[in-house]
Amino acid sequence: MAAHLRLAEVTKRFGPTVAVDRVSLEIEEGSFFTLLGPSGCGKTTLLRVVAGFHLPDRGEVYLRERRITHLPPHLRGTAMVFQEYALFPHMTVEENVAYGLRMRRVPAAEVRARVARVLELVGLVGQERKYPHQLSGGQQQRVALARALVVEPEVLLLDEPLSNLDAKLRVRVREELRELQRRLGQTTVYVTHDQEEALALSDRIGVMNEGRVLQVGTPEEIYLRPKNRFVAEFVGLANFLEGYWVSPGVVRTATGDLRVGQGAALGGRALLAVRPEEVRLHRGAPEGAVNLLRGRVRSVTFLGSVRRCTVELDGVSWVVDVRGEESVRPAEEVYLEVPPDRARVVEEG
Amino acid sequence: MVTARIGHAWVTREGRRLLADPGLTLAFLLGAGALALFVLYPTVRVLVYPGLEDYLAIPRSVRWMQAARNSLLSTVLSTTTAVLVGLAFAFATTRPDMPGRAFFRGVALLPLFAPPFMVAFSYILLFGRQGLITRHLLGLDVNIFGPQGLWMVQTVAFFPLAMLVIAGVLESVNPSLEQAARNLGADEWRVVRTVTLALARPGIAGAALVVAISVLADFGNAVVIAGGWPLLATEAWFRMEGMADLRGASLVVALLMVPTTALFVLERYWVGRRRYTTITGRGSRLQRPPTHPLLKGVTFAVCVVMSALVLLVYLGVLAGAFTAVWGRDWSFTLEHWHLASDRAATLWASLRVAAGAGLVTAVAGILLAFLTGRALPLRRVLDFLAVLPGALPGVFVGVGYVLAFNRPPLELVGTPWVLVLALAFWHLPLGYQAAVAQLQQVDRSIEEAAANLGARGLHVLRDVYLPLLTRAFVEGFSVSFVRAVTNVSIAVFLVSPGNVVATFAILNMIGNGIWGGAAALTTMLLLVTFATLGLARALAGRVVRPLPGG
Repeated sequence: MAAHLRLAEVTKRFGPTVAVDRVSLEIEEGSFFTLLGPSGCGKTTLLRVVAGFHLPDRGEVYLRERRITHLPPHLRGTAMVFQEYALFPHMTVEENVAYGLRMRRVPAAEVRARVARVLELVGLVGQERKYPHQLSGGQQQRVALARALVVEPEVLLLDEPLSNLDAKLRVRVREELRELQRRLGQTTVYVTHDQEEALALSDRIGVMNEGRVLQVGTPEEIYLRPKNRFVAEFVGLANFLEGYWVSPGVVRTATGDLRVGQGAALGGRALLAVRPEEVRLHRGAPEGAVNLLRGRVRSVTFLGSVRRCTVELDGVSWVVDVRGEESVRPAEEVYLEVPPDRARVVEEG
Repeated sequence: MVTARIGHAWVTREGRRLLADPGLTLAFLLGAGALALFVLYPTVRVLVYPGLEDYLAIPRSVRWMQAARNSLLSTVLSTTTAVLVGLAFAFATTRPDMPGRAFFRGVALLPLFAPPFMVAFSYILLFGRQGLITRHLLGLDVNIFGPQGLWMVQTVAFFPLAMLVIAGVLESVNPSLEQAARNLGADEWRVVRTVTLALARPGIAGAALVVAISVLADFGNAVVIAGGWPLLATEAWFRMEGMADLRGASLVVALLMVPTTALFVLERYWVGRRRYTTITGRGSRLQRPPTHPLLKGVTFAVCVVMSALVLLVYLGVLAGAFTAVWGRDWSFTLEHWHLASDRAATLWASLRVAAGAGLVTAVAGILLAFLTGRALPLRRVLDFLAVLPGALPGVFVGVGYVLAFNRPPLELVGTPWVLVLALAFWHLPLGYQAAVAQLQQVDRSIEEAAANLGARGLHVLRDVYLPLLTRAFVEGFSVSFVRAVTNVSIAVFLVSPGNVVATFAILNMIGNGIWGGAAALTTMLLLVTFATLGLARALAGRVVRPLPGG
């Protein structure tokens, strides 16, 4: 199936800085795609290129294989939900939502019907005549969403729409958003710096840093098989060990040899990434275990469901999560066991 | 018992606590006393000077009803055009893709530094019967005196006010709203119509009210160019000058005060509350979307034409100052400058009076802003009196001070002090509002911290606020100074033979047809004004270190 939205080698510069650097992406119809990255990584710029607010310096944007790179924003059908919502303060909820339809010269009767339908969809029935400043943050967010959805956009663009909500509300709205997107089959591009949000919402995620898309994949792929150090570190926590291949499936590190699930060229350098929750912590040396590292507990933080321990290995400190009810004390001598299939080889950078 | 209860409601517990501080009590009495004496008293004097039968006779006076109708007509016409031009300038200066926007803004500010009659005077030189442009370049015989000339002159003189108000509002329209409109399908033109201008509507209404007050109260241009066309603002002076008719003069200014006050109240309490507060969350800053080419072209054209008209105001006066006999002998001369130098004493008087007025405005403004920011008794009354002069036409204040201070115990008329005080308190709202704006930036916790460390009452003012208020002082002083040094509407009533100010002298020279001398003295006045302002800024710049990020 052809991609609904396709970016080909898109580059955008602001003066000397390259905000977006040769990005190519394909987004399938009906899917929820997230651009994930730290602030300043170019994800919002990329979204605005799709919306038509920025003209890319190089590269093309295609919608259903139609080139839209130079199309002005109001002819694109890429409705956007802004981070600060950008609700028109001089219009009621109803007028805000109807705006896009009026601009498309939809007949008044149809406008009324469609506005009513979308307001019901987002749960704002009864708020039609209120002004934005009379609504709570969560309600404002829904108006912004309704305003974008009502025009039945080709692609829905969301620019950190949940960042102005408090933590509890954010989770609830997130779930509603996901449910709504599935129900409508709405192709969606979502921008966030929050990895948990990205994992919970997306069909596919593109992790960005310094203007480049580093990895594209399903949430599982991104989390369980990060391609490089940045992705492993930005999505979740990771411990790293540097070493080199001594035989297929064995990496020699400063702390000892480790068996890993993958193989690679002998003599080559290798970087291993291990998630804190995948390391097993033992008080004494366990029988028959492979990949054992000796260390000393430096600090323990109780986080409820887990206890997060910092363990000092030879010169490096690792983060290891154990279950909340297990008691680990600082200064204890411990063994860390790394299951071979959990020691992932990732790229530098 | 009853008194005690009333007293309790009148003075809050917090107010009592504050009044227990002797320094603060002194400041309070000083501020309240000054407002009562120099704002409230002259106002009341004007209103009660004519008897009831005088008021009732107004509708029977043909000339006054004519003046009232004319004032209304010129206000509607001049306000409309001034706001439209001001809107064009405001729009031009807030679009990033508009060529020459910094230039337009600079040019539009020029009329604010000119004496109120200068536009009229210059246009008589350029476009009148002996006009350099109309008669000698185009060969036309145009009569600029009368309503049509007044309309043109007031448009040029007052569009800057509209521009400042509207630009402030347009500037605050969040670019992401315009981007959102684009995103939802609005083309460039409809973005402006449905979002940008729609959001600016309360600001435009506010600008119209501010301009309307100024036009209604405009004395300087009207007295020079309206000719025999009666207007309320000039009628008061004709009553005083020609007939020494104080009763008639106070009646006219009282009549004029009704619409200006109504407009003022409307602006402050109705439009002021309808401003849209844009909901802003965090978010990276966006650029404004491009402007519609046609709209850009039209705006640009309006700005070019009006900028030329503004620059001509200055050029016309400058040309007049160096031309032997305007209209007949176009040779170059320095003779007018000798004539003007003979009147240099009036410049000196203007400077002294304006500096005094600026000083009083700035100090009183800061003191009052400090007082009304506290839970003191009568604070709302003080606030009202501090902004009230903004609703009063200059001629009203002039007549008011004549009536209030022409007899013992405060016989000030005839001294320069009466002019200083009248100008200072007429411009008090400017100093007061500048100080209020500065005070609002100061976090209350700074003051609490100072109090916590042992500073009390006036010490808080001195130690915490004064450094921060130097800005408010400079601003209040500058605005009041410029307006005082260029003022005519009050000066004509209060100058005395020993204290003739430059604007009054110029007005007389224009009236007597000494155009060259008037032009030269006007040019000198402008130079002195700009020099003083520059000096004040430079001095202040040395005292006030710019706040980081500010």
